[in-house]
Amino acid sequence: MKKRKERIDRGIKVRSEDIFALCSWREMLYLSSPRLLPIVGLLVLSFVLSLYWQKVLLSVSVIALLAISWDLLAQSGMVSLGQALFFGMGAYLAAIMNHYWGWSPFLTMPMATILGGLFCTVLLLPVLRLRGIYFAMVTLILPIMLVRVIEATRIFGGTEGISGLTPLPSRWFELYIIIVALLAAFFGFRRLMGSDFGLVLKGINDNDRSVMNAGINIYWFKAQALFIAGSVGAFAGAFMTHVYMFVGMPVFALDYSILPIAAAIVGGTGTFAGAMFGAFLLVPLSEILRGLGGLRIVFYGLFLVVFIVALPEGIFHYIQRKYHQFERWVEVEK
Amino acid sequence: MLDIKNLMVFFENALALNDLSMMVNEGEIVGVIGSNSAGKTTLMNTVSGLIIDMKIKEQRKGGERITVYGQITFQGEDITDVKPNDRVKKGIVLSRERHPIFPESDVMENLKIAGHMKKMSELREMTEYVFQLFPALFDLKKRRAGFLSGGEQQMLAIGMALIVKPVLLLLDEPLLGLSPHLQSALVKAIKNLRSESGITILITEQFARPVLPIIDRGYVIENGMLTLTGTGAELMENPEIKAAYFGI
Repeated sequence: MKKRKERIDRGIKVRSEDIFALCSWREMLYLSSPRLLPIVGLLVLSFVLSLYWQKVLLSVSVIALLAISWDLLAQSGMVSLGQALFFGMGAYLAAIMNHYWGWSPFLTMPMATILGGLFCTVLLLPVLRLRGIYFAMVTLILPIMLVRVIEATRIFGGTEGISGLTPLPSRWFELYIIIVALLAAFFGFRRLMGSDFGLVLKGINDNDRSVMNAGINIYWFKAQALFIAGSVGAFAGAFMTHVYMFVGMPVFALDYSILPIAAAIVGGTGTFAGAMFGAFLLVPLSEILRGLGGLRIVFYGLFLVVFIVALPEGIFHYIQRKYHQFERWVEVEK
Repeated sequence: MLDIKNLMVFFENALALNDLSMMVNEGEIVGVIGSNSAGKTTLMNTVSGLIIDMKIKEQRKGGERITVYGQITFQGEDITDVKPNDRVKKGIVLSRERHPIFPESDVMENLKIAGHMKKMSELREMTEYVFQLFPALFDLKKRRAGFLSGGEQQMLAIGMALIVKPVLLLLDEPLLGLSPHLQSALVKAIKNLRSESGITILITEQFARPVLPIIDRGYVIENGMLTLTGTGAELMENPEIKAAYFGI
């Protein structure tokens, strides 16, 4: 008897696809629970965690912000290897405004967000025409170059960096502002990619010549996507500057480029949820492994390799499929 | 020589080939005629073994699940689970649809890459044969393949399949995107190929009119199922074929 594995949508998924979802609590829960999970989860986490893990939650959220901004760029056909550029730009801008001009964090953070996004877009404008590996190379080089510029010219504190910056009012404020920012960016990006604007961005990724043929200036759309992604990255940088009360060359470090990409790949690209999920998995993992000392990187690397080989689609896509569909063996009928 | 028995291919829940049985005898030109989405390319991928590779990749990615049932026998040997590269060594060579070539390499290099398994002397001989078959390619020897026109790329793609001296040549939609003039030239070349080197050829095509006169036998498939078989001449006379493929 010949059999094959069949995969079909769950009944509840089909039932909850249209207005009839409103007929039953179960269907409504099925629809809303994946959306409510990050909101409720983050709020609960902020209460139950110890002081140390609250700090970890801050860096998790920052990496998650960088990861979803990377995902937005990747979905628009721009594979960036330099999230550190956005992060570092925001960090230095906020520090400069705070240290030299004495602006309060409530002014420097929004200003650094917008100006950081703008500067990054202008810096990358000449290479917008490049695709794939060439764009990636330029974004990888830029943060490394900026570090050397700061080191060589000794501007903005040079190798020492700028310390003694104004802290945020309280640790609860720190926690909630980053949680709100993360959720806003996450749901905002998801909505954005569902809109017509997002459709154009996805089209540019799939086939940019067809989008040009539709009479759309793809470079304008790419620049806008770059600005949005850059702003989110710059906000993360500005936020971290005020949390650490310090800015220095490490903000351009490779960690801020590689970790978000690793998070997005492990979690699964193309949904933002995957990237966020990946960050919430990888950063705490690296904290737990801290006890292992030098072996930490080895285990971390092994974990990444295993996941990429075994689940190249990403963990989130796997979970999503299991949530929406089920599999069963059926007989092959003649 | 090639014997396909009860072949079934599922892409997830869609049935691409349904209980298809056919055979190709030594030295024949056999045509598989079908409209879009009839399952022609799936048939070719299954015979050439590419489907095994697709299956593994899709499984890894967790995408659509490909299931293959049935048996393919080549020269008395069951090749159902033989990997595509080993099938090429046995002499089954596929020229895929939409003429995939190596765009960055020139024509000569493309032919060399395709024939890397052959000895130098044999390669030289076969290159000459390909140029003899497609004289247009000879003048373009040093041109980068990406700069060739669609028809020239198609000729190159077929040349790349020929250079391996196949026992069984699989041509997947060789006429796609060619002008009527080039189509008839290519069909003539395919016919000469058989009379000169005696290789067996399996062609899938939706343009039935130029192909039917040169084939010995033909199969018509629709939605993955065999609907008609017969010799080329019989199919030409069939009123249903006339209506569906000749527009008469």
